Amino acid sequence: MMSLREDQIERYSRHIILQDIGGKGQEKILNSKVLIIGAGGLGAPVALYLAAAGVGTLGIIDGDVVDASNLQRQVIHFTADIGKPKVQSAKEKIEQINPDVKVITYYELFTSENAMRILADYDFVIDGTDNFPVKFLINDACVMAKKPFSHGGILRFDGQTLTHTPGHACYRCVFHSPPPANAVPTCSQAGVLGAIAGMLGTIQAAEALKFITGVGDLLTNRMMIFDAKKMNFRTVKVKKNPKCPVCSETPEITSLIDYEQAVCDLKDRH
Amino acid sequence: MLKFYENSSVLVSEQEQFERDIQIFINGEMNPIQFKAIRVAHGVYEQRERETYMIRIRCAAGGITPMQLRKVALLAEKYGAGEVHFTTRQEVQIHDAKIDQVMDIIRGLNEVELSSRGGGGNTIRNILTSPDSGVDPETTFDVDPYAIELTTRLINEPDSWNLPRKFKIAMSHNSKDSTYSQATCLGYVAEIRNGQKGFKVFCSGGMGARPMVGNELLEWIPDTQVYHVARALKSMFDVHGNRRSKFSSRIKFLWKKLGDDDFKRNFHEYYDQIKDDASLNLVLPVVENKANDTITLPVINESGDAFDTWKSRYVFDQLQPGLKSVKLPLKLGDLLKEDADLLCDFLDHIGENTIRCDRAQNIRLRNIPEKYIGNLYNVITKMKMTLAALPPFIGNMINCTGAQTCKLGICLPRGLSDAICDRLIRTDLKLDEITDFKVNMSGCPNTCGMHHVADLGFFGKIGRKDGEIFPMYNVMAGARTGHAGELQYAERVDEVASKYVPDFVHDFLAVWIDKKDAYKNNYIEFLEKEGKALIKSLCEHYRDVPTYEQNPEVYHDWGRNRKMTLDDMGAAECSAGMFDMIDVDKKEIEAQSEAVKVGLTGNALEESLYNIAFRASRMLLVTRGLDAKTDAQIFEYFQKHFITTGLIETQFTDVTSLAKLGLKAELVKHQETVLALGQAVINLYKNMDDSLRFKTDVKAAEATPSTGPTQKDYRGIACPMNFVKTKLALETLTKGDQLEVLLDNGEPIENVPNSVAQEGHKVLKKEQAADGHWSVLIEKC
Ligand code: HEM
Ligand code: SF4
Ligand SMILES: [Zn+2]
Repeated sequence: MMSLREDQIERYSRHIILQDIGGKGQEKILNSKVLIIGAGGLGAPVALYLAAAGVGTLGIIDGDVVDASNLQRQVIHFTADIGKPKVQSAKEKIEQINPDVKVITYYELFTSENAMRILADYDFVIDGTDNFPVKFLINDACVMAKKPFSHGGILRFDGQTLTHTPGHACYRCVFHSPPPANAVPTCSQAGVLGAIAGMLGTIQAAEALKFITGVGDLLTNRMMIFDAKKMNFRTVKVKKNPKCPVCSETPEITSLIDYEQAVCDLKDRH
Repeated sequence: MLKFYENSSVLVSEQEQFERDIQIFINGEMNPIQFKAIRVAHGVYEQRERETYMIRIRCAAGGITPMQLRKVALLAEKYGAGEVHFTTRQEVQIHDAKIDQVMDIIRGLNEVELSSRGGGGNTIRNILTSPDSGVDPETTFDVDPYAIELTTRLINEPDSWNLPRKFKIAMSHNSKDSTYSQATCLGYVAEIRNGQKGFKVFCSGGMGARPMVGNELLEWIPDTQVYHVARALKSMFDVHGNRRSKFSSRIKFLWKKLGDDDFKRNFHEYYDQIKDDASLNLVLPVVENKANDTITLPVINESGDAFDTWKSRYVFDQLQPGLKSVKLPLKLGDLLKEDADLLCDFLDHIGENTIRCDRAQNIRLRNIPEKYIGNLYNVITKMKMTLAALPPFIGNMINCTGAQTCKLGICLPRGLSDAICDRLIRTDLKLDEITDFKVNMSGCPNTCGMHHVADLGFFGKIGRKDGEIFPMYNVMAGARTGHAGELQYAERVDEVASKYVPDFVHDFLAVWIDKKDAYKNNYIEFLEKEGKALIKSLCEHYRDVPTYEQNPEVYHDWGRNRKMTLDDMGAAECSAGMFDMIDVDKKEIEAQSEAVKVGLTGNALEESLYNIAFRASRMLLVTRGLDAKTDAQIFEYFQKHFITTGLIETQFTDVTSLAKLGLKAELVKHQETVLALGQAVINLYKNMDDSLRFKTDVKAAEATPSTGPTQKDYRGIACPMNFVKTKLALETLTKGDQLEVLLDNGEPIENVPNSVAQEGHKVLKKEQAADGHWSVLIEKC
């Protein structure tokens, strides 16, 4: 067992005080490794909170550079970062927040090619992407690699999130397959209230920390949905689909698929 | 043989322990702070120069015999600076000793029945008496026997050695109250009523940076009650004195806290219990004021102007016909070994009861047969380092050691005293007209130089000009002394640069001497009518200080040939100094912050910011018992004990690191953070009483006995970090194990045990220790 340094005891004192966490829980956090896919609207708050919490290793994968239109919600990037790879920009901020955190950056897209290799190193995965094809890819890869992950999606004033751990419902149990390309707008096309990204991202971060420390009940077999216009939160029960194409006993899908991306400017994707 | 106190065998056996402790310390096996606590109680202080020590020797009633003084001088020559230093509290000191010689000195002292035990520490300090008690024709009655016997009684009582704070006693031989009974913890003033000897009793006075004039505790007691009163006050102090916060631990603060009625009622609870117990009456030793019956010394007859002048200045009639008292003024309180030998050789012939130390750091000789005055004069003229050829005014000046040996010193009063002397003796001022005029100087707000009771007093401060600092003195005036019960301390009138103080003193005295007769020697009236205005106008006259380039001299203090810096100020050696030292740092942080805000630039700005960071880092180290040896260590300790413990925010880590590396220019970029650091430390200090510990208890903190519960010391750690630490400690144990934690009183004891219980552990026991902190025993569940 590692023991906390004096400065760590101080930094994480508000965690340690929590009866459920304590020094041992904080040590778990410090030893954990979380992969954040997408350093955008959702990835930004997740990265900030997980960094502050002292997650030992944060992997961040994103193939984009910071664009002026990102700044309205992707709070980890600052005006001066425009043009900088998002992973680089995020890494710089994280290191300022908490030198305890080791940041590993992947300046590339998450694809069927690299998915399994990258996932292998992490304990928990955050889906911070905003388009269906990648969400399905993340789901499939995590189910196959038996990695728990938090799904998250935001659009306009709405958000939804679900946590998958092996044995519980996966994203495909709920949504069988991605909608046809262009059938659903991405948030870059439809617009999104910036603060929504924060609301949902912090829920995802909390789920990650709960998973790491083993505290409380995860959003497994439940999907939480909120409508920020009415400020209405609800959770709907979801069931593991015994015929799910990916997580059932006899899955149809046994290799990863890159679905066609929604047609939009890649540069302005998130 | 005449003795001014009896050392008990207990004290002697304690010395053996002390000797072992010294050895352990020399071997590097004892923490210097712990060692300090031990050695200070043995009267052993470290000087400003590291690993150089001074030893303070008790002289009850200011008395020392020629045989004893000769020995002290011998020890001073063998192991120390070669001179005996006379202090403002009627004691003698040996300076510049090395630690491995301390025991040799102490054993040497024991050979002549002297002791350094209680020279410092939280105990009964040297008991003062009027230096001419018993020989002054105006003696009400001799108080020396009381002081001598009271000393012996008190120092032989074990409970005298662990009081909340030092306990100072003084006894005056008449109502002129030359010992300032209202400026001490317990003061007795001799007064005869209806033929019965007795005392007026004052209590709770004290000088220092927060001076208080003592109150009347008992209007009058018969002389049989001297011990009863001291004992009752000691018991009361022992129980009620504030041990947790040394800020307010002296008796004067207890009085302030309780108020007149409560204090007196409390006192009487102790006093009334014992006051009728005649078995406690002091058994007074006989202190005879006479010369030896047979003196085989050939008489030397002196004559001439010099002799006559000396006689008129320094030789006094005694109560005892045919005997004379003689004042021997010392230069800055120092007596050379060879001078001591000359003097003692002569006094050996005269008698044992011939020497008293006075509060002006001079020697008073007594019981000298008139016919041997010539012999004494002859001896004194042979002595190398006295001021006997000068008017008494000069030798009566009092100064503390200041920055020369004291780490708190801002200014150098010894240098100033010399400079004033030089300045005045080059003029034709009639100093013999103002023999009793008291010029007292302290190097900082602590009153070691007794500036509160001065006619004209000075205490050091830092002056500033264009971002440069120069030595400066606050000017005090108008103490009312000389009447028991009517003491008033001097008040601050203005300030003047150190360099100009000699001129200032000269100019002021010239006027006073001139107008003295017109005012019928009523100095207070003079001050009120024109003296204070004169001080102000003179200060105004000297107000304009040249820049460093124009006259660097102003930036050098007297007696030191370099620019004043604050860098060599350090932590207080005397345990007493801690709060005042904190205050000095605090004021400096405030002053510097003000200066920065007003808009310093360049070098001055860098220095100011560094200074703020330095003082902020140092200010409270002493409260954790930390004694940094280097500047870098000050910052390290601060980070370790204040930042990582959560007392001070981590945002200050960077600036303190920059300061530690001496990167003063870098600090300019972090100006706001440096200012915030100063403020943060000051805020912490304001909230300090309950949550910080003031005493290291290294043993308690480190001891992890192999049997019994694990112990952790979380005193001085604020909520909730103390709970965080307790919780972490519990996590390392297995179910059923016990943990004992030490917590401060107040918030910590109110919160931590509850929180621990809420987590499901069992709190088995909560116990409060005498100094207020708590021990909590927890069982892990
Ligand atoms: C390292 C620093 C200090 C040194 C070297 C020093 C030195 C001395 C000395 C040699 C004496 C005469 C002692 C005696 O014979 O008992 C003295 C008296 C005194 N000291 Fe200090 N002292 C220091 C710090 C302090 C501090 C910080 C205070 C303030 C609380 C203080 C308050 C006094 C007072 C008030 C007296 C004389 C007046 C009296 O109470 O009778 N001293 N000091
Ligand atoms: S503490 Fe101040 S007054 Fe006392 S000796 Fe030091 S400089 Fe002088
Ligand atoms: Zn599924």
